[in-house]
Amino acid sequence: MNYGAILAALLVLTVLGFYLGRGRARAAAGRGQSRLHSLPGYYGAHVAIWMALPAFTLFVFWISFQGAIVEGIVWNGLPDRVTVLGETKPRDALPAEQKQLLINNIRNYATGDVVSGDVTALMKQGAAQYLRLEALSSWILAAAMAILAAVGLLLTYRSIAPTMRARVRVERVALLLLMVASTIAILTTVGIVLSLLFEALAFFTKVSPVDFLFGLEWSPQTAIREDQVGASGAFGAIPVFAGTMLITVIAMVVAVPVGLFAAIYLSEYASRRVRAAVKPVLEVLAGIPTVVYGFFAALTVAPMIRDAGAAVGLSVASESALAAGLIMGIMIIPFVSSLSDDIINAVPQALRDGSYGLGATRSETIRQVVLPAALPGIVGAVLLAVSRAIGETMIVVMAAGLSAKLTVNPFDAVTTVTVQIVTNLTGDPEFDSPKTLSAFALGLALFLVTLCLNVIALKVVQKYREKYD
Amino acid sequence: MNEKSVEHVVTAPPPEAAEADPAGADRNPVKMRTRGVNVHYAEKHALRDVSLDIGEREVTALIGPSGCGKSTFLRCLNRMNDTIDICRVTGRLELDGQDIYADSVDVVQLRASIGMVFQKPNPFPKSIFDNVAYGPRVHGLVADRADLEQLVEQSLRKAGLFDEVKDRFGDPGTSLSGGQQQRLCIARAIAVGPEVILMDEPCSSLDPIATARIEELIDELRQNYTIVIVTHSMQQAARVSQKTAFFHLGDLIEQGETPQIFTNPRDEKTQGYITGRFG
Repeated sequence: MNYGAILAALLVLTVLGFYLGRGRARAAAGRGQSRLHSLPGYYGAHVAIWMALPAFTLFVFWISFQGAIVEGIVWNGLPDRVTVLGETKPRDALPAEQKQLLINNIRNYATGDVVSGDVTALMKQGAAQYLRLEALSSWILAAAMAILAAVGLLLTYRSIAPTMRARVRVERVALLLLMVASTIAILTTVGIVLSLLFEALAFFTKVSPVDFLFGLEWSPQTAIREDQVGASGAFGAIPVFAGTMLITVIAMVVAVPVGLFAAIYLSEYASRRVRAAVKPVLEVLAGIPTVVYGFFAALTVAPMIRDAGAAVGLSVASESALAAGLIMGIMIIPFVSSLSDDIINAVPQALRDGSYGLGATRSETIRQVVLPAALPGIVGAVLLAVSRAIGETMIVVMAAGLSAKLTVNPFDAVTTVTVQIVTNLTGDPEFDSPKTLSAFALGLALFLVTLCLNVIALKVVQKYREKYD
Repeated sequence: MNEKSVEHVVTAPPPEAAEADPAGADRNPVKMRTRGVNVHYAEKHALRDVSLDIGEREVTALIGPSGCGKSTFLRCLNRMNDTIDICRVTGRLELDGQDIYADSVDVVQLRASIGMVFQKPNPFPKSIFDNVAYGPRVHGLVADRADLEQLVEQSLRKAGLFDEVKDRFGDPGTSLSGGQQQRLCIARAIAVGPEVILMDEPCSSLDPIATARIEELIDELRQNYTIVIVTHSMQQAARVSQKTAFFHLGDLIEQGETPQIFTNPRDEKTQGYITGRFG
């Protein structure tokens, strides 16, 4: 039986249950013995919840475990001697990867997917069994869900009485659902961090953390054979982080003054009409995909800077940190300006009036009253922008270089953490080489840096909020 | 009390008021004069033909139900309405006989001469000292730190706040209680050396004790300053003011000596309002 159909049936039953419950509650109220504790809808919802929730939970668990169980049964139903890759062996003596291959083939054949190698009689036999079991399983599931729903309906329907506190119970379930939702978000984060952590630990068994954190050379090519040339395999992360910092600093030098001044103009000087026109246009900048910024930086800005540098006798790399940083800064302008704009607008008008009332001019008021009042919030906004710049990937992948050079010269090519992660993980990497694993160590370090920045930024913004409440 | 620090920023011609007899409150010379003042907010006609004389060194109370235009009128007196795009002010408003809406008038100087205290205490997010020092610094009134400290102390004394804050000049102004904050705002206004102080419901967010302190303070300040106060409390108007003007729906209905307005109003609308029949 189709899973979609099962869920649809459950939904229909649940809706029916809702109306049944509500109807019974109304009838109970209509008999006029005493007033209903809750609105009739709550009784309906109570019935619906107890019909749907247990059945749906069963459904979720069932489909998460049914695959493994069905495969196990199919496996045990195969003959004792099986033929895999042309060799016939006792079934129990198969190596793990061959066993997996056979099972995958059976499942793929059953679902009409591509199988590796020729279709064998063994596969056909297994696949037939697989399909039979799956159909059986879905019928059992449907029946079990129907029983659960019926039990839920019966119990809750019978319990409907004016004294039953249906509202309290429904709200408790609503609270539970909200908690589950937030838990999912948190668990996902934890999962990501753990997967990063384990891979990074695997990396640190091959490269010492001291070398990684304090090494001054980054050259992640490791030798595939002994005598290979240019396979130094150095994993000192400092040049990579230095590159990230250099590009971030350039980006902030562009984004902070421009974004902040734009915000001041928009919130303090611009007339309502100008503001209504300019703000959306500025926010269009935020809507440009970073990949577009990336090729703009790589194909337009970088050569321009190189030629301009050549004209005044400077040697500028074609993939200069300056080009990537400039474009990243432009990308971040709307981020800084719209956050700062909100923060400046949150400064109470009463403060401005107080300053004007003392005869201060508009710019004096902005410099001495509005900006100091907004400063903590603006610092928070800038920190958020910094963590955004550090994590930005596409622009630097396209416009910054790959060679990890420890330099502060913006005309040089540098590489960044994100670029190294991308290059070390894309293509056809081996998943146990230090080169690939280094991406996870870099990712972990990057995550920690941006996490710290975000925490500081949030703290600063919070402190600012407390001031006017 | 040092008169000099107050006088040396006065921009208007030397006030003849110096020779006026401070005893006869009803014979005080006119400090501010308005004739036919109209205010429009976009399409809305907020004030109609208001002509009011504000006597020097006395307290003029503006009363009336909400939305009657009394705050709007107050904000015309130091051109605070300039900051509102859609607001248009016509008519003649004078300070010491000079049109304050004339092109030659510098709004910055005008507001230095006509200080303002707002409904809600609005200390800047700075220290107590810097709050009071803000105006003198903006206007460049003092030569050095010692002068500034002296001016700040004087202003705080005049606002009756000095003894409460003398040990904590460095604390943020927002750390004070509501009543103290409002007196800080008064000190801040005094520090610039104004001749007129406008108060827009200065006690509406304060408790009765803090309100009483402010009212006492207003009574003291009357010795040196011309005060215009908007208030919703008729008791307050009766207690602190010498002259009262009653506004209703954008019209100035009646003006006169405070005792006369409260005991023997000429207009029946005034009568209705002060006896609590509407508003």
